[in-house]
Parts: sequence; C-alpha cells; structure tokens
Amino acid sequence: MTGDGIVLRVRGVSAGYGGRRGPLVLRDVDLDVHAGEFVSVLGVSGSGKTTLLRTVAGLHPVATGTVEMRGRDLARVAPQHRGIGLVPQEGALFGHLTVARNVGYGLRRLRGPERARRVAELLARLELDGLAGRMPHELSGGQRQRVALARALAPEPAVVLLDEPFANLDAGLRAAVRADVVATLRAAGTAAILITHDQDEAFSVSDRVAVLHEGRIVQDDEPEILYSAPATEWLARFVGAATLLRGESDGAVVDTPLGPVRHRPGRPGVVTAVVRPEQVRLGEPGVSALVVAVEFHGHARLVRLAVADGTTATARVPADAGAPRPGEATTVSVTGTVHVLRTGAGSSDRTTVGHG
Amino acid sequence: MLAAGAAVAVLAALPLVYLVVRAGQAGGDRVVAVLTRPRTWELAANTVLLVAAVCLGCLVLGVTTAVLVVRIRLPAPGLWWVLASLPLAIPSYITAFAWLAAWPGLNGFWPVVGVMVLACTPYVTIPVLAALRLADAGPEDVARTLGRGPVAAFATVTLPQVLPAALAGSLLVALYTLSDFGAIALLRYQALTWAVHASYTGTLDRVTAAVLALVLTAFALAMVLAERRVRRRATAGRAVVATRRADPVSLGPWATAATATGLAAVAALSLLLPPAVLASRILRAGTAPDWVDLARSAVTTLALGAVAAALVVVLAVPVGVLAARYRGRSVGVVESLAYLGHGLPGIVVGLALVFLSLGLLPALYQTAPVLVFAYAVLFLPKAVGATRAAVERVPTSVEEVSRTLGRSALGTWFAVTGRQAWPGIAAGGLLVAVTTMKELPATLMLRPIGLDTLATDLWQHTSMGAYGAAAPAALLLVLVASVPAWFLSERGRRR
Amino acid sequence: MSTPRRRLALLAGALTAALALSACGGGSTPAAPATTAASGDRTLVVYSGREEALVGELIKQFEQTSGIKVETRYGSTTELAAQLLEEGDRTPAQVFLSQESGALGAVAAAGHLTTLPADVTSAVPANYTSKDGSWVGLTGRARVIAYDSRTYAADQVPGDITELVQPQWKGKIAIAPTNASFQAHVTALRVTAGEEAARAWVQGLKANEPQIHRNNTAILEAVNAGTAGLGLINHYYWARSETDPTTLRAQLKFGDPGSVSALVNVTGAGILKGAAQSPEAAEFVKFLVSPQAQKYFAEKTAEYPLVAGAGAPKAVPPLDRLGGPDIDLAQLSSVRTTVEMLTQEGLV
Repeated sequence: MTGDGIVLRVRGVSAGYGGRRGPLVLRDVDLDVHAGEFVSVLGVSGSGKTTLLRTVAGLHPVATGTVEMRGRDLARVAPQHRGIGLVPQEGALFGHLTVARNVGYGLRRLRGPERARRVAELLARLELDGLAGRMPHELSGGQRQRVALARALAPEPAVVLLDEPFANLDAGLRAAVRADVVATLRAAGTAAILITHDQDEAFSVSDRVAVLHEGRIVQDDEPEILYSAPATEWLARFVGAATLLRGESDGAVVDTPLGPVRHRPGRPGVVTAVVRPEQVRLGEPGVSALVVAVEFHGHARLVRLAVADGTTATARVPADAGAPRPGEATTVSVTGTVHVLRTGAGSSDRTTVGHG
Repeated sequence: MLAAGAAVAVLAALPLVYLVVRAGQAGGDRVVAVLTRPRTWELAANTVLLVAAVCLGCLVLGVTTAVLVVRIRLPAPGLWWVLASLPLAIPSYITAFAWLAAWPGLNGFWPVVGVMVLACTPYVTIPVLAALRLADAGPEDVARTLGRGPVAAFATVTLPQVLPAALAGSLLVALYTLSDFGAIALLRYQALTWAVHASYTGTLDRVTAAVLALVLTAFALAMVLAERRVRRRATAGRAVVATRRADPVSLGPWATAATATGLAAVAALSLLLPPAVLASRILRAGTAPDWVDLARSAVTTLALGAVAAALVVVLAVPVGVLAARYRGRSVGVVESLAYLGHGLPGIVVGLALVFLSLGLLPALYQTAPVLVFAYAVLFLPKAVGATRAAVERVPTSVEEVSRTLGRSALGTWFAVTGRQAWPGIAAGGLLVAVTTMKELPATLMLRPIGLDTLATDLWQHTSMGAYGAAAPAALLLVLVASVPAWFLSERGRRR
Repeated sequence: MSTPRRRLALLAGALTAALALSACGGGSTPAAPATTAASGDRTLVVYSGREEALVGELIKQFEQTSGIKVETRYGSTTELAAQLLEEGDRTPAQVFLSQESGALGAVAAAGHLTTLPADVTSAVPANYTSKDGSWVGLTGRARVIAYDSRTYAADQVPGDITELVQPQWKGKIAIAPTNASFQAHVTALRVTAGEEAARAWVQGLKANEPQIHRNNTAILEAVNAGTAGLGLINHYYWARSETDPTTLRAQLKFGDPGSVSALVNVTGAGILKGAAQSPEAAEFVKFLVSPQAQKYFAEKTAEYPLVAGAGAPKAVPPLDRLGGPDIDLAQLSSVRTTVEMLTQEGLV
C-alpha cells in the first residue's frame, strides 16, 4: 500500500481451544494491516477465521506470537483498551437497548450532548436517521448490520473487525449493504479486517485478501494477484473456477491436453497450468472437444467440455455469443498467458483435474 | 376441536365462577365487611411482604447460581444443572416440616422466606440457565471492544439479555408463594392462604373464607398477567440465533473450589437436609412406622397422580392443539380459560369445589371424581403448555405432506403429529402426576372419607406433633416426586 | 437418543402400573359410603371434631366389639360443624363427635340432630348434656393455661384469663382461635361478662400479638419447647402425655374457681337427622357412654368421664374441685356470634 505505515501487525500467532494442550486452530499466522486498508481474511468454515479475529480483538488468548498495534505489543492489553472495533455475525446488537443507545454504548467518556451529537452523526452517515428510538428486533437485517457498524465506529477505533457481517443477508440486499459499509469505512479512513467465506465478496471490496486454510495463511496478496497467480493448486481452485492441466514445459510453453499453452518464462519441467474459464476459447483452431453441458449465468455461459483423453475443461462464453448445445462437437484452445505451478515429485494432485 | 376446547375451558372456569356466585349470595354487606376489616388488610400486607421477599431471594440466588453454573468452568458441569433443578422435587411443606422437626418452635416470616426461597429458586434458575446458555456471546464481545471490562460487559449486556427470563421466573415464584399453603401453615405465617384455611376450619358460615379466597385469587391472577406480559417481552427480541456461545471462565483452583462448595452447600440445604432430618426423625422415633397405612397412602397417592395425569392429558390435547395450530379470538379465550388454574391457588379450588359439589352435585361431594377434577383444574395449564409446545415443534409442512399423501386430518394427527409430539405431551402428563402427588390444600378439603394421600398423612401427623410418625410419609413423598423430577430435568438439560 | 426413549417407556410402564393399582385402590378405599353400605357390611360414617390421636383407638375398639366398620372424617370441630350446616340433609355423616358443646348446640339449633334415646342421655348428669336430648356429653375437660415452667413460677401465671390482655404478656401467649374449644371459651366470656367486655378482651388479646396456632397440640408443643410462655388449651392435651406430665417443661395452671377461666366444657356426640333410624349410629353413641369408652377417656386421654364409676384422670384435680363457673352449656351454642366477633377483631 501507500507509506501510511502498519496499524496492526500479527506475527507468528498460534491459538487453540481447551487450554495449553488443546488442539491449535491458528498456526503461526502473520498478517499486517496498513492505515486505512481493507483486508479480507478468506477461508472455509472451520479454517480459524473467527478465532483469528477474536485473537486480534483480545477476546481469545494467544498461545504464541504477538499482536501489535502501531508498534505497541497488545499482549497485556485488555480488549476494552485496544481501540479495535468489532462487528460480529448478525450484528449482535444489544437487544435491550435502542438503536441510539447501542451506538452510544462505547461513548461513555463523552458527555451527554457530545455523545448525542456523535450518535446522530453516525446514524446520519449510515442513513439510519429516524431509527434512533427503535429496538433492535424492530430493524431489518441490513439496518441491523449498519447499526452494528455505527456502534463499532463510534469510539473511532483504529481497526474495525467484521466477522461475516453480510452472510445472513438476502443476496440482493447483501451487495448494497456491503457497498455502504465499505464506503463508510473508507470515508472514515478506518482500517478493517473482513472475515468471509465468499471469495466474490473478498475480491470485490478488499485491498488485500489473506487466505486462511487449516489455521495457516496460505497466501496474502492483492485480489488480482491472488486470482491470477495462486500459490497452490488448492488456492487456484478455492479462489475461482479453474481447469488444472499438468504437462511438460519447455520453459515458455507447456504441452497440455488442450494444446500448447503459453506461460511466463521459467525453468523447463513438469508444471500444472491454471487455466481460468475466460482463457478457454471455443470454435477457434485447436483440439477437438465435445460439449457436455451448458450453464447460463446471465452475463455469460459456462460450457463444460470433454476432450478425447477424458480431460474436462470449462470455458466462459459471453452471453450474447452463439451458444453451443450439449452433444455438439467443437474445438478448444487456450489463449493468453497462464499461471503455472511447479509440481514437486511428491505432489499428490492428480494430473488433470476438472474445474474448481 | 373448538367445541372440545371450549368444553374444557368451561370446566376449568367453573370453580371460580361458582366461588364468585357463592360469595355474592352472602350479600354485598358481608363481602364489604370482610374486605374492609383491618384484618384482611393485615393478611394482604403479610402476603405481599412475603411474596416480595421470596421473589427477591429467588432472583438473587437463582441468577447467581445460573451465572456460576454456565459461566464458570466447574468440575462435573452436568451435575450442577441437575442439582439446580432438583429442589422442585421437594415440596415446600416438606422442607418446612424438616426444619420444624430439626428446630421445634421455628415460625414466622424469615423461616417461611427461607423455605420458599429454597423451594422456588429453580423457577428462576432453570430459565436463566437456559437463557444464558442460549445467549449470543457476540454482544458481550462487542462490549469488550467498546471499552468494558469482562464483568461490566457481562453486567451491561448479557445480564439484561437474561433478565426478562429471570423476571418471568420470579413472577412464577410470586405465584407459587402466593398459593403456598403447607409451608406457610406449618410455620404459622399469617398469609392469605393460611387465612382462607383458618376461616374455613374455624368459622361457621364460610363467607369469610370465600371472600378471602377471592382476594387471594385477584392477587394470583395479577401475577399471572404480569408474568405473561414479561414473558412476551422476554421472547420478543429472541429472533436472533446465537452465533457463538460464551466459553466458561476458568478460575484458579481455590476460587473454583469455593464456587463449587457454595453451590453444593445450597444444594445440600435444599436437597439433603430435609431427607436427612426426616431419616433421623424416623430412627429417633424408635417405633416402626405403620407400613400398611403408609403403603395404602402411597398407592392412593400414585393412583391419584396417574388418574389425574391421564384425565388432564385427555383434556389438554384439544386445547393444546388448538392453541398451537389456530389463531383467533375464540381460540385465545379458550386457551386463557384453560390457563386459569395456573392462577388459582389449591386452597381456592378446594374451597370452590366444596361449594360447587355441595350446591350442584351433592352426590359427588367428597368423592374421588371431584378431587380428580380439582387436580385437573389446577394442573391443566401444565399439560396444555407442554402439548402446545410439543405440537408447535412438529412443522405444519409435515402435516400438509401427510394430507397430500391421502390421510385425513385426524389420520394425520395419529400417524404424524401425535407420534412426533407424544414425548412432549407425556412429559406434561408426568409433570401433572408429580404435582398432583404433592398437592395438599385442595386434597385436604376434597378427599373422600378414609382416603389418605402421603401429603394428608403428613399433615395430620404434624397437627398431632408426631414428627417421627410423619417422617416416613414425607420421605416417601420426596422419593416419589424426585424420580420424575430427575427425568424432567435430564430432558431439560439435553434439550 | 435410545436412553431417554427407554426411560420414557419405563415411566409409561410405571404409570400404567399405577393406574392399575388405582383401580384396586379405588375399590378398597371407600369412595362413597352409600356403595359400601349396599354391600351388606354394617358401616357408620362419623365426623370427628376430635383428633385421631385422641379417639382413633377408641373407634377401633368399637369396630372390634361391634363388627361395624367406621369411616371417620377428622377435622376441626368448627370446620365439621360448618360442613354439617352446609351439607344439611345431604350429609353422609351419621354421628357428629364434637370437641365441645357449642358446636353441637349450633348444629342442633339448625335442626340437623335427632333426639337421642333416653338411656343414652340419662347416663350422664343433666348439667353436662343437652336439655332436649339432641346430643349427649361424653367427657368433661377444663380450660387451662399451660405455661413454660422454666420461665414462670405457677403463682406468676394468671388464674384469670382476663389478665392475659396485660402488656406483660405481649407476644407470650399462644392461642388457637379457629379451635372450637377456644371459641367456646370466648362464648363463655360473652355469656358471663357481656358482649362489650368480651369484645374488649378479644381486642386486648389481639393487641398483645398472640402466637396463632392450629390447635391445642401445637400450642402445648410450643409451650413445652419454650417458644411460647403461656398457652390456652384443654387440660387433657397435657395430662395424656405418655411421659409423666408433671415432669414436662409445660405445666398447667387451672383457672380461679368460679371464674370463667375455670370453664368446664364437655365433649359430646349427636346423631344426624338422616341417621335417626340407623342402628349403627345408636350403637356407637351408646358405646361412647359405656363403661369401656368412659374408662378409655379417663385412662387414655385423661378426660373426666361423665358416667359414674369410670375412674378419673391422673395428675389433675378431680372434676368436682375445678369450680367451673355457673354456666348452662346450652348457652354456649351461640358460636356463630363468637366467630363473628373473632373475625371482626381479626383473630380469624
């Protein structure tokens, strides 16, 4: 990012449950968050995402490693003194307090009128004016999440932690609330960590995405890089649809069942090419293939293909282009430069795999 | 269905209606005279004072217990759950009796408060335990990040979440304290139930008893309404499902031991002390108890419990199904009437049925059917509540599928709804059986000549000062009542 | 899942068993006296205002000698009198056994008692039984003050109950205002001292914050335990004590002779109108004035037998030395007025 400096630095953090001897849920996690940065932690359920977040907030004990805030070790700092905001799943509003009192909860230090002004300001910013007197159970899901964010932002924390805050919203509502939340955080210049299992969500709003897998950060990069240059086969499939093709590379071109595919120059040898559906072309000179199935997705179609040796692949075709039908024969080729993974001798991945 | 429900509702309301009629027959002057005499006010004040003290005690003890059990890491966590709900198996009058046997001459306000608090605390502990366990830890986490320490976060965020449950529980406590007769009479505290009984046994025309019973009923119904209102508010904001439950806190070994000891001490006081005193009274009495009499009373008690439970379940099913599956004014009225017994102290129903049976069906006066009917009126709400909850848990979609597969409405009930709901309904019946077996005041007034239950046995022996002779019945009563209570608490814990 | 289900099944089984038992129980426990009477056995229904501890054994003796099965409903005398008044002709009761004469008088006045055979009523001195033969006196008993002998010497205890309203007895007195014997005592006070004086005494007693007990036994227990200083009871609750009563912590003060405090009242029995033709009822009442029963009362319950030659209770002065006030027992039947007074003044 820019040279704003690191707000939050997580180094070598391990954490677990059930005391010292219990199983570890986080192993040796490193994570940096710069000022004003929006970082997503992406992982499947059970990957340790929420534990990481609670560890950062000071709500879960660290087994080893450090959490620093602007250079200050937080090991002995209680959650209430860390200056880290939290928006849990479902918002976790205080059910017995009105919206205004929820938002004002963290403003004990402010005097009455000041507090009221700050609460009003936050409610206005999140377009919640008029709801100040409502009780949480009288709010819609989206309103609830916005109140939760307003509450977290009220004491002006350096970092806000968002724990799958949009997971339980309707699909249509989700994008809108997400956009509001991100805009608000950006406007406030507050750094944020978003926990999510939804890779679209992570990619669409984040400056950086850290993928957590079985308690470890397996890659931490900008979304574009993560998508185009995943570090492992697992990641390649996790962050988007992919056809993984194993083949012999001469250092610039790898020979695959879909024909020769260009990649960035490197050492020759056996590699796995990560082919995204948008890189697969139909109807142009190439290997002959059979259309197995066609899925319509509005803006595009996904075409499932099989080539002679049994390899399957997925191609993305613009929706306005003529659609092939299942059972038709076609030709398939790969365009552009693909990402390749060096395959170690002991790799257990299958030679060719379908789509992610 | 509505007709059956309405019939049940009318039956449930009958005693109270007749009591009003009966008090009215005495003439307005008599009623006003009883109402305006200072003594009535004195009794009401005594009652209110007692209820307030017991509620406060139960609230403090119950919430504390629940918080410790849920939020502190203790050895054998399941045990504390069971211990917290088991005192329900020991009727308050047994505790009172045990205390009297241990400290003869004990009487008055504080002993009654002590007995009632120990007996009634589970009504607060159990719902608070459940609420705490189900409570979302999210708000507490947020409160921590918003500048509150662990205790402050718990107190300002989680405690208010469970407070409605605690409040509703303590209103139940209020209701039971208001209705309690045995402990209050044994410890000679002059509350309204005692006064109803005193004027029933000690005056010639029973108008005073009827009017005092109505005063008592007014108080009790007020509690029921308040409890309903609080409970509704308690469940209003419950739409949110807990995303994370709070982990119990590990204290040091000494603090853990102290906590466990404190909890164990309360449990011992309410669970162990009474049976221990009773057992020692039996041993000290030297003479062998009258086993034949005891066995007869035990069989009678069991039989009454079983018959009452069977009848109540039969009556409760139409009302419970109606309440679970249909909305509307008439259904609401039927359900409310069926719940009336919840707000009628046993002594009131007893008195009302003495009047009712003598006035309308003299042939049935002091026969087992009238006694069982009294139990039905008193305990119908328990079974209706259980039935309603059990039926509500069966999704209507399952019934709809059954209908589309060619079953009639009734056939669907037997093949699907009833099959899935029956454990809940049976549990309700069990609860009715236990409560029936413990019932004292209505049984005293309505039992047929020569019919003794364990409770009336106990009562008679204590009125003769024969603690040793009464102890076996008391012990048996605890035993009989604790088996299903254990079962119910196990069920509650598993849920 | 399997364990709770099995447990449920077990419980269901237990309930079924209990139901089955209830069927047997219902048969052996008489639900309605009419059905058992029809079975050919000779039965009798007694309402006993006297405690089972006092008369239970006597009733068993009667059952053995007569072969009649007695079903007894125990309760307080006033409660049962009220019940008889409420039940009227529909009562299942055949004989009413009362702790004192007033309740019998009240039930008789309402016309619910039949006239007893002359050989029954004549067995007892005329001043201890009803004038019209509607009930018969069985035993005499004195009203006494039981006192805690560790706190008070005999001469400190008032021989006159009117002194109990003095402030020094505040909180020290135990009474049983719902008990018929206490009520009869107040009736006697009303009869001898007049309504106003009696009301003043009741008010004074109430103002002295007395301990309210269920019955005489409870009062005696309290005095004997030292939790009450004085208690108004009938003499036999003390005198029948299995250990030598003179060694008890509670001791008795008999009322000053001639004063209302020395009231001698009687326990009695009457036959209900509906049982006028019942040989069982007649046999039972006749048994109660028989030497066997009278001796039982003298020896077992320490009451004063009213039939000559049945002996006398131990540890108490003889009946003729008690010096009871000159009151006609028939005058004590205005229980209703007494109860109204006690209700108004807040002792009930």
